[in-house]
Amino acid sequence: MKKYSTPLIDELEKGPWPSFVTEMKKAAKTNEMSNDAVGHLEKCYATKVGYWKHGGIVGVLGYGGGVIGRYSELGDEFPGVAHFHTVRINQPSGFYYTSAAMKEICDIWDKYGSGLTNVHGSTGDLVLLGTKTDALENIFAEYSSRGWDLGGSGSALRTPSCCLGPSRCEWSNYDTLDLCYALTQEFQDEIHRPMFSYKFKIKMSGCACDCVASIARADMSIIGTWKGDIRIDQAEVANYAKKGMDINAEIIGMCPTQCMSYDGKEIKINNAECNRCMHCITKMTKALRPGTERGATICIGSKAPIVVGSLLSWVIVPFIKVEEPYTEVKDLIRKIWEWWDDNAKPRERIGEVIEMKGMRSFLEGIGQEPIPQQIKEPRKDPFMFYTEEDMVGFKAKEAEEKKTGKYKF
Amino acid sequence: METAELQDKIFAFCEAAKGKKKLKEKDIIKGVSAELSLEADVVKKAMRGMIDVGRLMYSYGGGASSVEIPSEEYLREKGMIP
Repeated sequence: MKKYSTPLIDELEKGPWPSFVTEMKKAAKTNEMSNDAVGHLEKCYATKVGYWKHGGIVGVLGYGGGVIGRYSELGDEFPGVAHFHTVRINQPSGFYYTSAAMKEICDIWDKYGSGLTNVHGSTGDLVLLGTKTDALENIFAEYSSRGWDLGGSGSALRTPSCCLGPSRCEWSNYDTLDLCYALTQEFQDEIHRPMFSYKFKIKMSGCACDCVASIARADMSIIGTWKGDIRIDQAEVANYAKKGMDINAEIIGMCPTQCMSYDGKEIKINNAECNRCMHCITKMTKALRPGTERGATICIGSKAPIVVGSLLSWVIVPFIKVEEPYTEVKDLIRKIWEWWDDNAKPRERIGEVIEMKGMRSFLEGIGQEPIPQQIKEPRKDPFMFYTEEDMVGFKAKEAEEKKTGKYKF
Repeated sequence: METAELQDKIFAFCEAAKGKKKLKEKDIIKGVSAELSLEADVVKKAMRGMIDVGRLMYSYGGGASSVEIPSEEYLREKGMIP
């Protein structure tokens, strides 16, 4: 195996933190593809050029996603990375694996690929880095025979992902793991057969702490929330104060809506003004807990900047019960896709289409009533919709009232 | 209409767009169902049958996916032609 001199990328091994270069070098000891990947990376740094080409016609028969074609322009110099395709494996809900499952994944990957992995990619999938075109069908056959499946890529529903939810977290307002699994099973076609204008991501968080950052990274963010009052244990509040917590500074003063007060003995919350940000609950875990009527808020449209700038998700359903068999959520998703499909140009994310067509058109398309909670940002005026029919009625009423002299406008 | 005949029509639709437009699944479904006055689901099923056996294939470029007629190289790679 050729030994590459790597003075530039060696710099990335210095310091106390983990280094991907170190890991690549470990893999390179036994794998030709990894070895060439190390040499290739050094050349990229030396010349300040990325030699990678991306995309094209690569995948497994019948699937339109799950494999992302990567090729190097320097295939002659580094034959191990001439083809260096990425394979996405659909991760289990909440990223739970047994050691045996991890070993199984790695053993198959060592057999057909570079041995390099990215656990997990930003989509949530378990990402396998670097294999050749002629190995793809074998890789798919081996993984699928053991119960694994490919994830989404291209203009498809990307592999849904979720936080670990009620499995380990007391704040989860719905079963994120079960919903993630149910949506993955329900929308298999949409994951594996790209049919949209562009990608569509669904991410599920059990509460507003949003551990999977769905508010910024998912076209559809399903974020757990509750209705009603935050539960307060005043005895525990007193304990926090006794142990030295400055409740006014750390809790009351940090409340974004200033809906809380503390008189030195008890906390009071004006729940109507609370925006369920979770700050107080996460700081006073023993004293404060979410309300008992639990569900989720559905937001739409976040994305990173590609065609237009980055967007955060926008509330469209302030509260929805999230219970099996999740019919309401599934129906809403289908309506959203239908409207998007009718209105999007190629490579337009749904958030961009809403920006261009307007929230009114979107809400009408999916059959949602406009409501005050659908404001785009906190403390901004809610928008109002008037249809042509509304205006005709408005003008008729105005004319009538002018005629009778009883002005109400 | 027989499935084989419908699939020939779908193939012809894709062939006509070759080199001119990258067709999404929905473009084919909408185009062919309008042309032949068929239910979208019938066209979708026939088209996916073609993808499953390699008569059509998914492609990817610039972040977006499309459906195309496969090249000989692709069919050889998948073991469909010698």
